[in-house]
Amino acid sequence: MAEYIVKESALKDFFKSLTEGRKLLAPVEVDGKLQMAEADPENISINYTNTHMSPKSAFFPQTERLMAFHNDAEKSDPFVYKPLGLDNVDQTVLFGIRPCDARGLVVDNLVFQNNRFTDPYWKTKYESSIKIGLACHNPCPQCFCTSVGGSPFGEEGLDVLAVVKDGGLALKSVTAEGEEFLKGLKGTESGDTSATMDELKKAAEAKMPAAIDQTQVEAREIMDIYNQPHWQETADRCLNCGVCTFVCPTCHCFDIQDETSAKGGVRMRNWDTCMSWLYSMHGTGHNPRPTKTERVRQRFMHKLKYIPMKQNGNCGCIGCGRCVTMCPVNIDIREVARQMNQ
Amino acid sequence: MHNPYLPYPVRLAELRVETEDKNLRTFKFEFLNPGDEEKFAYMPGQFAELSVPGQGEIPIGIASSPTEKGHVLFTVNRVGQVSSYMHNMKEGDIMGIRGPLGHPYPLDKLEGKNLIIIAGGFAVTTLRSTIVWLLQPENRPKYGKITFVYGARNPGLLLYEDQWREWQKRDDIDVYVTIDREAPGWDGKVGFVPAVTKEVCPPPENTAAIICGPPIMIKFTQPVLEEAGFEPENIIMSLENRMKCGLGICGRCNVGPEYVCKDGPVFTLAQLNKLPREY
Repeated sequence: MAEYIVKESALKDFFKSLTEGRKLLAPVEVDGKLQMAEADPENISINYTNTHMSPKSAFFPQTERLMAFHNDAEKSDPFVYKPLGLDNVDQTVLFGIRPCDARGLVVDNLVFQNNRFTDPYWKTKYESSIKIGLACHNPCPQCFCTSVGGSPFGEEGLDVLAVVKDGGLALKSVTAEGEEFLKGLKGTESGDTSATMDELKKAAEAKMPAAIDQTQVEAREIMDIYNQPHWQETADRCLNCGVCTFVCPTCHCFDIQDETSAKGGVRMRNWDTCMSWLYSMHGTGHNPRPTKTERVRQRFMHKLKYIPMKQNGNCGCIGCGRCVTMCPVNIDIREVARQMNQ
Repeated sequence: MHNPYLPYPVRLAELRVETEDKNLRTFKFEFLNPGDEEKFAYMPGQFAELSVPGQGEIPIGIASSPTEKGHVLFTVNRVGQVSSYMHNMKEGDIMGIRGPLGHPYPLDKLEGKNLIIIAGGFAVTTLRSTIVWLLQPENRPKYGKITFVYGARNPGLLLYEDQWREWQKRDDIDVYVTIDREAPGWDGKVGFVPAVTKEVCPPPENTAAIICGPPIMIKFTQPVLEEAGFEPENIIMSLENRMKCGLGICGRCNVGPEYVCKDGPVFTLAQLNKLPREY
């Protein structure tokens, strides 16, 4: 493990050196909102609660071209697909991922690289990137990472963990890739950060709300939770707008569509939402989740029961609180989790 | 790195109208590139994404058996954009297929058992694959008695007639083909699949049932098997759900924690009894 200090006066040099040989994604203002986006080293924020959207789009863009085809039957390869976006992939470094979001990426990674298939579009971007986390001193009122197994100073999914200290940064490597990466940076000086980190971690964790008890959810059979009466009440309020799924760091669903022009076209994938009736509807018109109630239940069951069953008990919700903040009718996953556990 | 989204290019070698209402056609594809057929190594019960550039993809069960070399067969019902487009294709046209996807029927685990295979309507496709595979001289001795029950509304809606008429002539499979109501010229059984199943079902000892059909058929056949004494572990079914990726990633085909595409489409009734009926 390597440990470094970046003094406030050296921050710009440090950020500038992150861009050498890599594309830097970091918290910057885009259209009035803080986003994890391609960043000018001059404008990077280190004092924020969290980015508006999660960093998943760095590896799983909202819209992505998968392959191209042409429709010239005279050519020797009519209608044969050519993959797009897999060669010369930008090597990225992400600075400022919150530990909750980094755990979200770990959940996503086990979906995109599951027990049978590997998604090459995800893998080429995810595995070549360096992920630098920024620990949380001041959790926002909606976040609850410690309730779902995380920590404001969590290291899971990160190569390097940073924390703001005296206006600058204290850094420690988490992985061998992170250690190697830190060696080549400017603006850093070696320093012992462990004691500082431990102290700040305790203070930050003390500010977090109590854990949400999920022992019953874990112990119960799927159908016992599925048939609980509270789903109807939550569904009555839900508008099925899907904002919770778009802001969620662990929502990974997508649709595949072909976009065509006169000469051919591209096969695209776009984020999709299980809140939509079309999402699950069969060609025959039969819909396995025909009403809001089934769709609302699906989302919470997926996060709190199905993902833990498939990912060694790890919760599919990482406690970032974005869905709580964004929901137009104030549906709160913490409240639903409590009802499921009753 | 293997790209599981990339279809293999195939040529439509033969197109056959299967049913009187012309809503079902069987597509016989040949791989364009040498080596792709070997990469597409499959077993009965698996499916593939049929991929038409500019139209999209549809998940369809593989109707041919891996023992039928040189081509793959799919029978497609005309329902949406891709299937309608495919129904207007001509022999020689080129498109893509992506797979094989999903798990096959557990034919290895069923060795030594008697089998009753029950099909309704056009869900017979992967069961055609299964029976062709089972009847191969190298496979047939590994299994006990094989019973096949197949029903459709009327004779015009039965698929693969040449095939099952051939099977009827054999003495190593009992074939019962039935239609819902009397029809002129029909020489076979008349009655719904559950009733015929009840009549011809072998004893449950050392026997497994494989069922594929519309929900209404499954709903009424399941109790027949349970009354006959079949354990839920020995009732095997294949599910369908809307799909996009076929790889357990895009999300929409889940039934509880299982993805029909990646973890299915083959499940035992014992597994399904613990899951929501979201299929």
